[in-house]
Amino acid sequence: MRTRLWTSVALVAAVAVVALLWRQAPPATDETGAFRAPRTSDGRPDLNGIWQALNTAHYDLEAHPARPALALIPAPPRGGGVHRATPVDLPAPGVRALGAAGGVPAGESVVVDGEIPYQPAALTQRQENAARWLERDPEIRCYMPGVPRITYMPYPFQILQGADEILIAYEFAGTTRTIHMTEVDDNPAPTWMGLSRGRWDGDTLVVDVSDFNGQTWFDRAGNFHSDALRVTERYTPVSPYHLMYQATIDDPKVFTRPWTIRMPLYRRFESGKKILEYKCTEFVEQLMYGELGLVDPSTGKPTR
Amino acid sequence: MNHHRLTAGRVLTLALAAALAAGCTFASNPRAEGAAGESAWTAPRTAWGDPDLQGVWRYEGAVPLERPKQFAGRESLTDEELAERDRLEKEMAANRLAGLEGTAVGRRSIAESPIRGNEYNSFWQDHGRPRRVFRQTSLVVDPRDGLLPYTPEARAAETRAQARYGVGPYESYLDPDTGERCLTDGVTALMWQGPNGGHNKIVQSPGYVTVLHEEYRDRRIIPTDGRPHGTVRQWFGDAVGRWEGDTLVVETTNFQDRTNYEWANIWTRASETLTLVERFTRVSDDTIDYRITVDDPATFAQPWTAQIPITRLPDGTRIYEYACHEGNYALPNLLSGARAQARTSSN
Repeated sequence: MRTRLWTSVALVAAVAVVALLWRQAPPATDETGAFRAPRTSDGRPDLNGIWQALNTAHYDLEAHPARPALALIPAPPRGGGVHRATPVDLPAPGVRALGAAGGVPAGESVVVDGEIPYQPAALTQRQENAARWLERDPEIRCYMPGVPRITYMPYPFQILQGADEILIAYEFAGTTRTIHMTEVDDNPAPTWMGLSRGRWDGDTLVVDVSDFNGQTWFDRAGNFHSDALRVTERYTPVSPYHLMYQATIDDPKVFTRPWTIRMPLYRRFESGKKILEYKCTEFVEQLMYGELGLVDPSTGKPTR
Repeated sequence: MNHHRLTAGRVLTLALAAALAAGCTFASNPRAEGAAGESAWTAPRTAWGDPDLQGVWRYEGAVPLERPKQFAGRESLTDEELAERDRLEKEMAANRLAGLEGTAVGRRSIAESPIRGNEYNSFWQDHGRPRRVFRQTSLVVDPRDGLLPYTPEARAAETRAQARYGVGPYESYLDPDTGERCLTDGVTALMWQGPNGGHNKIVQSPGYVTVLHEEYRDRRIIPTDGRPHGTVRQWFGDAVGRWEGDTLVVETTNFQDRTNYEWANIWTRASETLTLVERFTRVSDDTIDYRITVDDPATFAQPWTAQIPITRLPDGTRIYEYACHEGNYALPNLLSGARAQARTSSN
């Protein structure tokens, strides 16, 4: 009797634990999951909110080991024979002072098939981009980062659903995309952030992005594209707190075939959370224009 | 995109000068102040019941910010002045479309400009459709004299800013004004400034009104969900909105002090003591009565209020990407030119 009682208690406890774990388990991350997004007052899936990626794709879309710095220089050869220890690559002088704060964390690939299918010449260009990152990455100069890079930079963004258009307001560089949900003409000129045409596919917001200028990158590892880029994004609500984000990259000038990245986006649901300013133009003026007339504070005169 | 440009204040000043030169008086449109009498019209609502301000809007009025001397003591124009002003605006717009130089609103003639080659600044400016005329003689309605109540220090700074525009010195990137540095021309002027990018797209979603200003891609995401002010100081401060009947009231505080920078117009600069209160009331399908009250002891001896009629542009009007910093060739060219001049003069 006593044993049966304890068995029952244990069973109830086990069920309770399972139920608790079940409730706390992450929601299905597949579009086939049962989650149905709440609806806006005009009956559309409600994606409103502040979202952010939480991964290392902004460093490198592909799998990468940790490394000491974003910009590296080859270690100088060390004399004394083959039995002496030699260093791995060293942080470049421009970033050395950052120490561990300037390191790059390791990360898995967000590319669905693991690797980006570069054409041979483009792969060489990517490697050059990586080697000359400090000179070439448009992020360093606070240029608009393009799509999809803006999505997984380490800054939040807000989806604001209007009637015939959806705004995506990014914190980085105060950039905003308008997703046109009705017909719209092509851009009169190529742009940094492209032209976004959206539609609903069930609960998924699908955005076709075109009219890029070819000057943006995908990450801090030199992954790049041309002005032939077309991106198809899919934003799928998979829980009240998550969107699954997928972007298919098509650029026949650079890649051998279209390829896809995939990652969850997380709701920033802190009370009163806002998109704040990151007006980085002001932050890079010294870098970009300092040599053209840096003022010496003691004299008020340009230093050169 | 290049960045030397005439600012709104200058354009208005020049428009006034053009009008005076033509021997004309300013007039205004009965539509703006008569809006209250248009009883048949009811303000549209969003699907969730807020007043609907959505669309692309732009100030297309012909009213100067400050009251011209000739209208001292008068807050509004006569019917005759109004009609004459309307005729003049239409004539100027027609001349502009016909490509007649020297008559275009907001354009300085080459001789008039302190900047050699300033015609470059004109070709890419969008002066829009014929400007609407209104009865008010100045956008500033308080103080009653229609003039900005600068402190003596700020007035001196404004005079200095006007004198150095296009002239320099340009010793560093800090010497051009905030607009030339592709930062902003200031939140105070955002809703109605700009011959080159004065369009404002308003998009509403539950609990938010978002304003996208084309120039500098200035953006304001205004919560209307009753939250208190935040604590982070920003260029555009911390905006909190609420609905009072059909009117959106936006109070903005927590500005960063950028009075140490050069501003094209001192009255648009922000300091930590700035409080802005804006009121957006849609008074007809195509007009928002926009009022802004600026209270900043760092620049003004007393608060001032401007009443600005803003026009809705046709459906389908888009605002475009404003990649100012990305294409700011003007700034390094200006500085390298100044360095070259310095080398030449020291030889």
